[in-house]
Amino acid sequence: MTSAAGVATDIDDFRSSVESWLDDNQRVLAPDYQGNGTLDEQMEQLAKVKRLVYDAGWMRMGWPERVGGLGGSTLMRAYLGETLTTRALIEPGLYSMTEVLAPTMIDYAAPELAATMVPALLRGDETWCQGFSEPGTGSNLASLSCRAVRSGEGWRVTGQKVWTSLAQFAQRCVLLTRTGTTESAHRGITALFADMHSPGITVRPIRTMHGAEEFCEVFFDDVAVPFDRTLGQVGGGWAVAMDLLPYERSTSLWHRAAFLHRRLQDLVDAAPAGALDPAKLGEVTQLLYSFRARSRATQHRMARHEHLGPETSIDKVLLATAEQAVFDLVADTLTGEVTIGDDSISERWRTEFLYSRAATIYGGSAEIQRNIIARRLLDLGNDR
Amino acid sequence: MDGEALELFERSLDNATKEHTGQALDAALEDVGWHDALALELRAAISIFFALQGANNVSSSALCHVVRHALGLSARPEAGVVLPAIGRWDPPGTLNGRGLRVNGLAPLTLGVQESAIVMAATERGDIAVVVPTASLTLDAVSGIDPSCGLLRVTGEDIPTDEDLGLTASDWISAVALARLSVAHELVGASRKMLQLAREHARGRIQFGRPISSFQAIRHRLADTLVAIETADAMLDSAWLDATPNAAAMAKAVAGRHARTTARHCQQVLAGIGFTTEHPLHLYIQRALLLDGLFGTSASLTRALGEEVIRSAQLPPLLPL
Repeated sequence: MTSAAGVATDIDDFRSSVESWLDDNQRVLAPDYQGNGTLDEQMEQLAKVKRLVYDAGWMRMGWPERVGGLGGSTLMRAYLGETLTTRALIEPGLYSMTEVLAPTMIDYAAPELAATMVPALLRGDETWCQGFSEPGTGSNLASLSCRAVRSGEGWRVTGQKVWTSLAQFAQRCVLLTRTGTTESAHRGITALFADMHSPGITVRPIRTMHGAEEFCEVFFDDVAVPFDRTLGQVGGGWAVAMDLLPYERSTSLWHRAAFLHRRLQDLVDAAPAGALDPAKLGEVTQLLYSFRARSRATQHRMARHEHLGPETSIDKVLLATAEQAVFDLVADTLTGEVTIGDDSISERWRTEFLYSRAATIYGGSAEIQRNIIARRLLDLGNDR
Repeated sequence: MDGEALELFERSLDNATKEHTGQALDAALEDVGWHDALALELRAAISIFFALQGANNVSSSALCHVVRHALGLSARPEAGVVLPAIGRWDPPGTLNGRGLRVNGLAPLTLGVQESAIVMAATERGDIAVVVPTASLTLDAVSGIDPSCGLLRVTGEDIPTDEDLGLTASDWISAVALARLSVAHELVGASRKMLQLAREHARGRIQFGRPISSFQAIRHRLADTLVAIETADAMLDSAWLDATPNAAAMAKAVAGRHARTTARHCQQVLAGIGFTTEHPLHLYIQRALLLDGLFGTSASLTRALGEEVIRSAQLPPLLPL
């Protein structure tokens, strides 16, 4: 798989095979609820789809053989999530956690641990969460204070995480802890892989503006984590985090582009005659297609095994801009539905509009992405 | 072209656009073999040259060569090609019982060419005709960008006899290729503006530190880079997609983002960027003009929206 043509042939074959399989299995794959479903329903649907798609082999394509995959180009992973999203079989934000956390395990966990754990995530037997942010640690990740101390056979973890997506459903957590002094900043951080059922862990879902309890607070009270659950080096957690973050801005964003495309087409279908402003619709379409063009190039770079780094911050800026533009157009066009509609279709537009407001906040805020672009891509030096 | 040949080609074009403009640049393009490249390596010839033309703020008749190539008339290099009027993309000519009416633009070289190819709308659809240059009125454009190297081309009731046998679909292809060319020029100009603003921000000291350390400046420049990379990604996508629709989107994004780039870079360069002592103004003025060639970003964007509403379909997606 070294030539571009080789990759293309590969992905074309995959595309046609997976499409015909999805056509044949559409009925069993479809959700058994109408509309958006509750978060619990969405999670059940996700587990069902992942299991069926894994057992048929599609979910294993593009993942290394040593973690239960079947190898091949990562473009297949990008395409699978895209088509599952386009067919409205999954909610891409929930599905894409796999694309963020599995590569980290593959790169940093002990090989036996990765070989045991990753298949359970791919097959949908397990949900994992990502314990990075803390109440006092938002944009300034290096200031985190959730402490892990060595004790006998392992670590003891005490502290608090926040904005931990899907923690209430999760069996495992990729967790950043402070193992050095507070002053050690990014040098004194260690990444751990914790079991969420361990004694001492309390999860409290946060009710957000858009109505779903997707984010949680997670409290750690003297929680035991074995040494062999350390990801990367002791004191090397910053590298784990820095390598993970570009994955938040690659395949998962490609899946999000598929979602936005589906919903913009839904808007075109649903808009009453004369309601859509053509100039705005044209611009939103261009924003979405530009974001997708950028993300497409990133998928191909990833498939060529190029290192993904700070340039993915551009992808994230484009996602946030496109997502908010799409749903601003929704609010301008379907004003009644978004503001006073109480049927399930209206509620869905409203939920998605409200969630789009977070696109410039989560996963590194719009400001942090611009700081990264300024320092790392434009080489403008330090900002003080 | 292999990697080495491509590098050599790019270096030759870089030198040509650094040293020459106008008819001298046209001659240099002949020497470098750009016309052969246009036939053999279309994308490389267009993307490399127009980005450099934009970056070095020079002019040439390359856009006419692109249109002629797309119309399949490369075998008639002696004839110039009339481009659409500013802001428009319909054929520059209209043909009725009284003869040909022309309202368009052309590079300065048309003035020394014997004849001109004019795409014209007729009751039977679009056709291409050839008329003697002497039958046209040519006025040098000064406008916002006096070094743009363009002529305003007009004429009324011109007799025509030679029909080149082209149709509206030929014109649509030519417009698409011209849009990609101008979009590359806009991206080239945008990258140069960012380079100028970045150099200024790093060197300019206020409050005892370089202004590049202020977040307000950093975020403007970051947004500029996002705008430029986005336009480039759209161009990449448009070449792969190879549809007129994708080319129109790439042109609209390149135009809008060049104007965003101009706004941010002028603000970062502040006073000096408002003077003629600094080259920034040349790029700002050129960007506005280029945005107008083959349709402004505003008009292309509105046209896209109207088409989506009419067809109730978003444009086809380029597959992964």
